Amino acid sequence: MFFNSIAFAIFLPIVFFLYWFVFNKTKSAQNALLIVASYYFYSCWDWRFLFLLVFSTFLDYYTGIQIEKGKSEKSRKFWFWLSITVNLGFLGVFKYYNFFAASFAELLNSVGINASPILLNVILPVGISFYTFHGLSYVIDIYFKRIKAEYNFIDYSLFVSYFPLLVAGPIERATHLLPELKVKREFDFQTAKEGVYQIIWGLVKKVVIADTCATYANAIFDHYETMNSFSLILGAIYFAFQIYGDFSGYSDIALGVSKLFGLELLRNFNYPYFSRDIAEFWRRWHISLSSWFRDYLYIPLGGSKGGLWMKIRNTFIIFVVSGFWHGANWTYLAWGFLNAIYFLPLLLSNSNRNNMDAIQLKFNLDSVKVLWSIIFTFSITCVAWVFFRAKTITDAVSYLKRIVTNRDFGFQYLDNERYSYELLVMIGLFVLVEWNNRNKIEPLSGKMSSIRVALAILTIIAFGTYSDYKEFIYFQF
Amino acid sequence: MKKFLIFIAKILVVVILIVIALDGFYTYVFLHSKNRGKIEKVFNSKEEKYDVIILGSSRANNHFVAQMFEDKGLKTFNYGMSGGHLFEASLMLKLMIERKYEIKNVILEADLNLSNDQESEGVSAKFLPYIHNSTVIKQHFASQKDFKELYYLPFYRFIKYDGKIGFREVFHVLEGEKTNPLDNLGYYPLVKHKSGNMKNNIVNLNPLPHNKYYEEIKNICRTNHINLIVVMTPMCENVKGMNYFDKVKNAYPEIHNYENVVIEDKYFSSCGHMNDEGARMFTSRILKDFFDINK
Repeated sequence: MFFNSIAFAIFLPIVFFLYWFVFNKTKSAQNALLIVASYYFYSCWDWRFLFLLVFSTFLDYYTGIQIEKGKSEKSRKFWFWLSITVNLGFLGVFKYYNFFAASFAELLNSVGINASPILLNVILPVGISFYTFHGLSYVIDIYFKRIKAEYNFIDYSLFVSYFPLLVAGPIERATHLLPELKVKREFDFQTAKEGVYQIIWGLVKKVVIADTCATYANAIFDHYETMNSFSLILGAIYFAFQIYGDFSGYSDIALGVSKLFGLELLRNFNYPYFSRDIAEFWRRWHISLSSWFRDYLYIPLGGSKGGLWMKIRNTFIIFVVSGFWHGANWTYLAWGFLNAIYFLPLLLSNSNRNNMDAIQLKFNLDSVKVLWSIIFTFSITCVAWVFFRAKTITDAVSYLKRIVTNRDFGFQYLDNERYSYELLVMIGLFVLVEWNNRNKIEPLSGKMSSIRVALAILTIIAFGTYSDYKEFIYFQF
Repeated sequence: MKKFLIFIAKILVVVILIVIALDGFYTYVFLHSKNRGKIEKVFNSKEEKYDVIILGSSRANNHFVAQMFEDKGLKTFNYGMSGGHLFEASLMLKLMIERKYEIKNVILEADLNLSNDQESEGVSAKFLPYIHNSTVIKQHFASQKDFKELYYLPFYRFIKYDGKIGFREVFHVLEGEKTNPLDNLGYYPLVKHKSGNMKNNIVNLNPLPHNKYYEEIKNICRTNHINLIVVMTPMCENVKGMNYFDKVKNAYPEIHNYENVVIEDKYFSSCGHMNDEGARMFTSRILKDFFDINK
């Protein structure tokens, strides 16, 4: 059941009605309803993986309590490592086993040892990377005594399986979401209205921008050997907007839906393509994952406190692991590695926290510099996206090489029966709308919001891509 | 909560108003479109007279050189539609009758397309803008499983088939941008491709014993006193011996088998489609067999 499906359009009002009109007496009733709804939502993909979700929930719930109750450090450590091992074990088996087995066999074959790997015929349970990270952060926080264990199983289960964030985040923290789940929610018109605005804007991003960009990006990436330099550049830009519209659109819908139930989730995107350097980009892109890796990997590794080499090592580890989190493919590793290389000069010159302030543009030279830095950051991000989108690293390198060597900048007709340049006006308008509203969560609220909402709805209906339906990209992670 | 429910109700009203307005606007635009394709050409015309009408899929569209019929003094148009099935061919003929066309002969390409009686969504979608303005289109789609949504939900058909009749197509119509299906009297010549796919496995393909839309076309012609000529058109060398055309002949003895009129691959652009040279050889033979007044 996707957020942009008819099924969800029926599911959501039913849950909303039951939540505020039938199960509204106590917090426990509200949470119980949301759990049932969440499990139903998840089972719409594959009910068999519901057992995995319930097991993972129970494991972290139980080990969390045991860690807190543990009288000796040895006992606490035992439960802690049990949870970490089993959680990462599941992730490893379902997501990474085939990749490692195939890569290892390839390595052996390359040195002359004949090996055929035993591969598992399993599909990746949707959302496993997200709910595993929920559980991990919870257990780690208890172990390091940052939070208390949750003894109410219903509340804890909802923290892990809350349907708006279950399959593609944002990756919540127990410190943020659990306190919200411990109190009865009262309906607030303003919050719910903001939620609706965010849902509508999320749909614009997904259905109008991401899915339309996808048809062009696919037509270019799938036939990059026959594309000229101009089309290849546009292909990278289209994919940049596809993945942004897709994932931030999903996050907007998730946050908006959650607001309808009186629950605020972590913000996941903050206009990342307006970043002035790559460090700022990573503070604005998939914020919940970046901050997760910062808090649970980078800082425990020593962060930026050690010497120069330690800083460099930690930077590469966090970016490469982040890339690998996205999927078991060398292309994601390369994408992470490339971002680490982008980040390195900022780290070495101690300027990775230069652009913390809001972007202001005026008619002066400084603003030209700011604009240039935004364009430059976007450009290098697009180069990295080529690795993320390509099927293999060889494809990605050939794609980029062809941009430089082909040198033909004419318009091409693509196999989706459109010209390669046709989408630029729509993207330009989208960027303009986001730029003018970059200080708000979404562009629909504020003055003349009724007209803005009507225009957004008109845009979704008239300009959305429906016949060439695309799943949310991050569901595969 | 009351305020919120009113807020949601307002949004729903806005959605309803928008879909109704867009439906009206898109329909209006398509009703005034004339140079984009064969379906709108027929829909926006009436009382035309033809000696020969050609119907079928791309294997009609690319194989019958309409100008060669004209050169014989036969007013002809090739209404073959690339990707189309007999579902669309039948509807096209019904639409012509509804538009009071006077037709003496219909040449129908019926071979591979006899193997199914489903609609070809990419082609049938182009009839949908007119569903509220044509009884035959409405009735033809009435048996489709999503007919109610297509007919009663405003703008649903434009959303479902946005790639074919969505805003891009509306924009092109408004621009007056011409397309090529109407060039060469509807015939679309193909060239010989070095990399043309000359393989097509039709061993397991079987014609339906009673193709609903083929029977419909026969009935329409009978009722309207139109001479119906049904032919199977040539395919590349690779399919020889796969006996699909024999199966068609067994099921429908009245269909003329022209599978072997053009044989060599050099006359083909791909396995199922002759190039212009092959199409001209084939059309000559059809003219000789069915329209040679000196015969």
